[in-house]
Amino acid sequence: MWETLIVNPFTNVLLLIYNLVGQNFGVAIIVFTVLIRLITHPLTAKQIKSTQAMQELQQSKEWQAIQKKYKDDKEKLGQEQIRLYKEKGISPFGSCLPTFIQLPIMLGLYQSVIRALAASPMQLLVLTRVLWPLPGLSELIPINSQFLWMNLGQPERIYIGGIGIPFLAIVVAVTTYIQSKVTVPPVTNPNDQAAQMNQSMTLMMPLMMAYFALSFASGLAVYIIVSNLLSLVQYAALGKVYWSNLLPKSRRSDSNKTEK
Amino acid sequence: MKTKVYVTLFFLAALGLLVSGCASDLVAGAWPGVSADETRAYVAAGSFVYAVDLQTGVEVWRFPEKASTANPFYATPVLTPDGSQLIVGGFNHILYSLDPRDGAVNWEFNVSRDRYYAAPLIANDLIYAPSADYNLYAVTFDGRLAWQFSASQAIWSTPVSDGSRVYFGALDRTIYALDARRGTLIWKQTLDSAILGSPALGPEGQVYVASMSGLVYAFDGENGASLWPQPFQADGQIWAAPFFFEGQLYVADVGGVIYTLDPAAGRESGAQVRAGSAILSAPRPFEQTLVFGTEGGSLLMLTVPDEVQTFEVDGRLYGTPALAGETILVAPYQADSPLIAVTLQGARRWSFTPEK
Repeated sequence: MWETLIVNPFTNVLLLIYNLVGQNFGVAIIVFTVLIRLITHPLTAKQIKSTQAMQELQQSKEWQAIQKKYKDDKEKLGQEQIRLYKEKGISPFGSCLPTFIQLPIMLGLYQSVIRALAASPMQLLVLTRVLWPLPGLSELIPINSQFLWMNLGQPERIYIGGIGIPFLAIVVAVTTYIQSKVTVPPVTNPNDQAAQMNQSMTLMMPLMMAYFALSFASGLAVYIIVSNLLSLVQYAALGKVYWSNLLPKSRRSDSNKTEK
Repeated sequence: MKTKVYVTLFFLAALGLLVSGCASDLVAGAWPGVSADETRAYVAAGSFVYAVDLQTGVEVWRFPEKASTANPFYATPVLTPDGSQLIVGGFNHILYSLDPRDGAVNWEFNVSRDRYYAAPLIANDLIYAPSADYNLYAVTFDGRLAWQFSASQAIWSTPVSDGSRVYFGALDRTIYALDARRGTLIWKQTLDSAILGSPALGPEGQVYVASMSGLVYAFDGENGASLWPQPFQADGQIWAAPFFFEGQLYVADVGGVIYTLDPAAGRESGAQVRAGSAILSAPRPFEQTLVFGTEGGSLLMLTVPDEVQTFEVDGRLYGTPALAGETILVAPYQADSPLIAVTLQGARRWSFTPEK
């Protein structure tokens, strides 16, 4: 089911793009990422708006009032929160869905990159059996896995003085950090539990993505980097990028004051 | 919000596990290969190379001592002509010379930067080792590099030699003819698609090679000139090496069709034989018979010109069977036993199942 719905279509689309862009697999991954981002843009936009609405609601007097009123009655508090969500037309899970959609896409893309590159006889045998019967598709094999300095089917390293530096993993970590840092509104109450969790996510996500980039095919790292950059563009287009979050706290408050 | 974060963390952890799982699954990228001498079978099947007693099917030794699932062995091990060395390449980029008596390492050749998928050719007092790092390495019997030649893509098949030249095909769609001693290029021909199987040599210096798209070509070994007016087109893709036998050229495709070709004209000269499932490797000859392994797990015995018998074995028989006396040895992919011995009549003699 997973193979039929995700991996095989992804593989064939990647190969079709590869053919269209002059048989450059790195460019094919970038174009594929742009396509995925375009297709999921309505969901992302919904997520951004939903997150914003949730945050506004949680800062509202009404929300704070029910927190105080029902602080000793969790069940009632939950009911009241749901009532407020309904009243404001907010789905509490609306902001999670697009994040979860990204996960199977990442996994599917990773498997598709490995499958399309078919770096071993067994992988090539599998690939030849899932190719759509389109003219010219089977003639593309073997795929040229070289892109810039990378072999897209292998983890990336730049060797300086005999030491392998995982340049792409570093870029993945930095872009993921920036992406998750600047797309969250500035924290008004640092003691807020949600804000604290967000902060730990901001640190954990880059580490996890860097681990993926470090360990797996560099084609996946290319996808993550391009995806992060496109995510920033999407947030910026909707006016939801908070660059001041990157500044140290003292300068951030000055900056916020100035912005006001 | 807290729930959302926990759910996200859960999915990230699940993704990590899934990606890791997929990566390890993809490591097993080839199928086992088997060879034999008079007393033992040698099979490269995953974490180990095994030596197995031909009479009993019992393990004599295994290499290395400790399993490494990340660096398995699938290239068929090959004995040197004097039987003193067993040469095998691994996924760890190392070509080993092992002592066939006990599996001790004689030497290691670690110049390659990628895996060995195909068996080396041992000829002209050299070991010609094809690597996925695009290079054909010529190695001396004491493990030194004699020369290397770079193709433009990985080499997944064993070269062949007529004594003065070495011929091999690569994924770069090109067949190369090199000087066997010096490794210099004599000629090359670019085909329509990748070359996955070895070339075959004819008795008068012909070189036959098949491309993945199902075309079979014939060249003059001396200068690379085409010998047929046009290549022969099979119905399916061709992974297996063509095979010159009893004056005819035999070619098998992934549709399981075996074609008999007139080696002079490149036209079909006999009836097609249908195996019923894919054939990915060259046959093993025995007297008047060609023994093919099939993906469906059966052995097809084609006694020329057209007598066919099939025996069910097990697993998927992607590699070329080995022959030891009157015993056929197969190394199935994804079967309980990595090595099975059957008689020429198809009766099972023994199955080798390694101890954990």
